Amino acid sequence: MTSPTVEFVNVTKVYRKGAMETHALRGLNLQVNQGEFVAIWGPSGSGKTTALNLVGALDTPTSGVVRLEGRPLGDLSRRELSRLRRDRIGFVFQAYNLIPVFTAYENAEAVVALQGVPARERRERVMQILKDVGLEGMEHRRPNEMSGGQQQRVAIARAIASNPAVILADEPTANVDSETAERLLTIMQQLNEERGVTFVFSTHDPRVMKYARRLVGMVDGAVASDEVKASGV
Amino acid sequence: MNALKLISLAWRNLWRQRRRTLLTLVSIAFGGFLAVIMTAMQDRSFADFIDSAARLGAGHVTIQHQEYLDTPTLTRTVKQTDAKRSAAEGDEGVVRAVDRVSGQAMVATASDSFGALFIAYDPTQEDADTFEFADDLTAGSLFQTPDEKGIVLGSILARNLGAELGDKVVFTMTDRTGNIVTDMERLSGIVTTGAPSLDGALCLLPLGTVRRVVGYEPTESTQVAVFIGDGRDALRTARTLRQQLGEGVAVLTWDQIQPEIRAFIAMKVGGGRAMELIIGVLVAAGIFNTLFMSVMERTREFGIMMAIGYSPRQLFALVMAESGLLALLGLVGAALITAWPYYYLYTHGIDMSAAYSESGTVEVGGVGFDTILRIGIYPENALIIALAVVLATVLAGIYPAWKAGRVSPVESINLV
Repeated sequence: MTSPTVEFVNVTKVYRKGAMETHALRGLNLQVNQGEFVAIWGPSGSGKTTALNLVGALDTPTSGVVRLEGRPLGDLSRRELSRLRRDRIGFVFQAYNLIPVFTAYENAEAVVALQGVPARERRERVMQILKDVGLEGMEHRRPNEMSGGQQQRVAIARAIASNPAVILADEPTANVDSETAERLLTIMQQLNEERGVTFVFSTHDPRVMKYARRLVGMVDGAVASDEVKASGV
Repeated sequence: MNALKLISLAWRNLWRQRRRTLLTLVSIAFGGFLAVIMTAMQDRSFADFIDSAARLGAGHVTIQHQEYLDTPTLTRTVKQTDAKRSAAEGDEGVVRAVDRVSGQAMVATASDSFGALFIAYDPTQEDADTFEFADDLTAGSLFQTPDEKGIVLGSILARNLGAELGDKVVFTMTDRTGNIVTDMERLSGIVTTGAPSLDGALCLLPLGTVRRVVGYEPTESTQVAVFIGDGRDALRTARTLRQQLGEGVAVLTWDQIQPEIRAFIAMKVGGGRAMELIIGVLVAAGIFNTLFMSVMERTREFGIMMAIGYSPRQLFALVMAESGLLALLGLVGAALITAWPYYYLYTHGIDMSAAYSESGTVEVGGVGFDTILRIGIYPENALIIALAVVLATVLAGIYPAWKAGRVSPVESINLV
């Protein structure tokens, strides 16, 4: 039996600021399997982003276990976590977060270069992905020369280029108009279907929920609902 | 990430805040400029000063009687000076070795008498490289042979004695056995060094005349003055000569004979080093500020980079590369802004005589400084400055780089 791609077991996360404690996650249990297209939705403060941060190895739980492809993240060193993020996780952020001095090509290539993929293979892979996300001919543009939607497509290309096990997308459509959002979601859906990449969204955007094939509802740091749809859009 | 990619990214990052980077580069370049010019002033003036002291005294390295330093009388001599000069000139760093007899004398004219410092030299052995007064003649002539007639006096001494060219001057000194001897010559030349204490006491005599008067052998003198190309090699040359000549004579460096000059130079060099350190700290503080600000402004970006797979070490290396590039660019800038002023001050100098005393000169330990301020840096000091600039820049980058590597992705990504 293969391990789930993402697994939360009784995960809690408490943020402390002075004497004040904020319970972001209260015993989260969740599994996401390889190839799923999951949207975690819920109101602000429900723990969506915290859950993504934990599985993205950006933060550590207060208690419980987070596993990625069966590996408990709490057992990994800083260096191993860096490698894990580089090789197995792709991020798409709400604010794009591209490296401003890099071109679209260089942004998409950055992680692949970190992986040490040979130059020729790297180029072929990145050019193909940029083509797949509809940025052919825009390789040399810098982030400030592109629209928000184009920047987010570069971010998606960057996330997918390293062949990760899972792409974590935190409110990826929050800063773009409806048309662009639909376009981005279509691209991600295609990548999911064609490449089998697992996508986990944190969102409260109905458009994302429309495309997702599984909806995990969170309230107060725990799963309140878990619905598998017959199919997305 | 390979080194080329890292440097490329570092380079682009530098120019994101073009104005700030340029200002930092200007401060590095100006710091480098100041350090080079200050060091070059010191190197040149002290090298000239040491050379001058060597020409005036008894060379960069002196071979003399073992007791002459404590009791400088004409009874303390070295013999077979020709062999000792040959031995000295066999050393690769030695330019020339010459015989000198120097000591105290009383000079008198019909109207007055004064104590004097006499230097007897062989004009056939010496030239402007070894003889301090070659360019200081203001009346008459210097000697051409070691046995010619005549006496040359410092201008103030001549004036005090009321002596004019051709006048009879009687000089009195002790001979090699300690007895008083006297001779008379006619004033054949007057020199003006610009150093008042020297012009008021200097008396130059031909070596042959003095040897005859005090009863020395033809190869006997009080000192063999050894001149070397680079005054800083004096210690090494002295050690070599000590091994060659054995225990019979003392082989001393210029600073052992004139410790007051050594102390003066050490004090000045110490002051200069302190100034350079202050400049270095100020420059490093400027660089630190730039890099630290740059890192703090990019905290979010570093968090993102960490999230997508850059390791803390790679982020550290990135900021250090930015720091290194700043250092290299700063050095290039320093070279550019230093080149012309350095060339001008090296070749022409600045006439500082008006800034000095009424005599237009400055004097330490009886040795006059050249009032034309010229510069010239020793290559190793230029290298040290370049390395210091790089080191200061790199050191200034360490903390910001460490800070970049310690960014918390979650906290920084939440920053908007």
